[in-house]
Amino acid sequence: MDATQKQELRRLFASRLTGAVRMYLEACTHCGTCIPACHAYASEPELRHSSVGRAENIRRLFWRHFRPQGRLAGWLNEAVELSEDWMEKVYETAYTCTGCRRCVTYCPFGIDTQQIQSIAKLLLIGAGREPQVLSMLADMSIAKGENVEATKASFTQAVQGLEEEVIARWRSEAGREAIPIDEKDADLLYVALAGKHSIIPAAAIMNAAGENWSLSYFEAVNFGAFVGNPEKTREISQRIIDEAVRLGVREVAICECGTAYRVMKFMMGELPFRVVSFVEVIARYLREGRIQIDPRKTEQRLTYHDPCQIARNGGVMEEAREILAHLTRDFVELQPNRVENWCCGGGGGLVAMGEKEFRMRSARVKAEQVRATGAEVLATACENCHTQLSDLNEHYALGMRVAFLSDLVSQALVASQ
Amino acid sequence: MNTVYYLIMVPMVYLAVAVCLIGVIARLIALGRAPRHPHSLAIFPQRGPRFLGALGDTFGMPTVRRHQPLLWFFLLLYHLAFLVLIASHFDLFPGIRILPADSPHMIGAGAVGVVLTLALFYFLIRRFRSPIREITVPSDYLLLLLLLFLVLTGSTISWANSWNSEAGGFVITKQDFGLYLDGLARFRFEDPREVLYGSHYIVVVLHVLLANLFLILLPFSKIMHTFIALPMNRLRRGA
Ligand code: HEM
Ligand code: SF4
Ligand code: SF4
Repeated sequence: MDATQKQELRRLFASRLTGAVRMYLEACTHCGTCIPACHAYASEPELRHSSVGRAENIRRLFWRHFRPQGRLAGWLNEAVELSEDWMEKVYETAYTCTGCRRCVTYCPFGIDTQQIQSIAKLLLIGAGREPQVLSMLADMSIAKGENVEATKASFTQAVQGLEEEVIARWRSEAGREAIPIDEKDADLLYVALAGKHSIIPAAAIMNAAGENWSLSYFEAVNFGAFVGNPEKTREISQRIIDEAVRLGVREVAICECGTAYRVMKFMMGELPFRVVSFVEVIARYLREGRIQIDPRKTEQRLTYHDPCQIARNGGVMEEAREILAHLTRDFVELQPNRVENWCCGGGGGLVAMGEKEFRMRSARVKAEQVRATGAEVLATACENCHTQLSDLNEHYALGMRVAFLSDLVSQALVASQ
Repeated sequence: MNTVYYLIMVPMVYLAVAVCLIGVIARLIALGRAPRHPHSLAIFPQRGPRFLGALGDTFGMPTVRRHQPLLWFFLLLYHLAFLVLIASHFDLFPGIRILPADSPHMIGAGAVGVVLTLALFYFLIRRFRSPIREITVPSDYLLLLLLLFLVLTGSTISWANSWNSEAGGFVITKQDFGLYLDGLARFRFEDPREVLYGSHYIVVVLHVLLANLFLILLPFSKIMHTFIALPMNRLRRGA
């Protein structure tokens, strides 16, 4: 690694040194309380799969490059110099951690390993070693934002092709489009994923509730956040913000995608509209009596996986239970659940990257936790979690059906009595 | 040798206190001036008042209680004892009185040192066991050893204090230490040997040397957690 590159990486590192991150790097007492918090460690007890183990890879660089004691007496904290070899460790920190923040709830100080992991991700981008697939996907999202006009027609056509399936779940009033797009003055802008499973159920539910909504041109998923590139993260979200402002909506509802929700809700600063997760929207419709669902339609025993970015890191936990209470009479909680739920092991871009072997190994505890419920249906509210849980279901032969909450709700919709 | 003793007992004490105070304040200013984190670091659900909650998290360490009860027990014992220890050192100054002026004992009458020794032994021993062993760096061991010797020499003095002149010459009383500290506080630069004339003076010098080292290292060590545990816990509570 030559001096210029080192200088550049040092600059990127420094750009992440907020007051909070400095404290996280300086104050760890190496008490080890966080070690059992990580699903990867619990599944495979190796220190490199623990929160503090991962953080140390970055902390050791921090001592060497940012603190005088690291330069004068580096051996005290085992400080290390940036090097090609060490970048392997940096990669491990970045892409074996899902950013679930479960470890934050164990540490006596609340040291946030996800923020330390994000330094690792940024260093990899600087060294051109980030997973190319994530960067490519992020660039594609951004390109789409720059050429909306070119893709509008084909998007609209594709969406029209889905309307029949929406109507099959819920027949809306005559004169209303089943999937409205570009609706000026809609109350709610729904941001879906590129896939009909995230459009059809939601459309049926909103139509059943008589919502004045519009479907966003853009997909919610934020690959910029997965790859850890702050500029790309912002650009990808900005496309949706611009659209929402242009349409003058009061509320932006993010589909079942945890990272998209967290980024839009907490990382974009003050916005001229409310940001909600679609789970909150469904719960509100039920509370206000705008939709009715028949619990007899979901007869199998049901359990629910709290997606980390929506629950622990987003605060949406009880809303899911409200929905579940309407959805079934045979609900069983995962143990532990809510803020303490085990991460599915697919977050942080791991699902998009493939990494199946590691994902399966590192989520053994998750599979065991799910199996212990004896449930037949495993519901969740995040695309990443859904993919990972489906893979786990197959890999560990759990014999369950993995379903989106919105899908279960849309299948059980009934007309109000 | 007497010159070395003098340097440790007087000028170095001033140096240590200055390095500690300036170091800690400079560090806190640097941390405070660093850019604010661009987004919330809260963990949900957020219940109850934020600040009080963060105070509770900081001083009660509920996460350790839940996940490592034995460590929690020793942590609480240790940190409480440390607080008492600080108070009991201030109590030595004739100008500050917590216990009656003629009391022969420090606060806790030696128990504080015993508690600290036990806790430090526990901290040290657990560092030799996996997986804590693998996350321990040299400074963790050295800091614990420094503190252990610091409290051991302290306890030796405290124990020797309970002897009297008839019994064998350990005669430095609490009031004598008061005179020494009063001299320091008034910048009199006298030789402490004039008021601390017991035969275990060397232990006192060692104790002060270790305390000086501790103070000098503090702003550069993980003990900075003392000052930033609360701000970090506030971040988790959504501040
Ligand atoms: C007078 C102020 C304090 C001093 C001198 C102090 C000193 C120490 C020392 C010497 C250790 C042992 C480190 C080891 O095991 O290697 C320690 C550990 C610890 N302290 Fe403090 N501390 C202070 C305040 C605090 C506060 C306010 C908190 C609040 C959260 C705190 C939380 C902890 C924790 C969680 C550990 C980890 C135990 C471990 O390392 O195994 N301390 N402290
Ligand atoms: S954020 Fe999650 S995956 Fe990363 S170290 Fe913490 S517990 Fe493990
Ligand atoms: S629990 Fe916190 S202080 Fe303890 S080792 Fe983990 S990150 Fe460090």
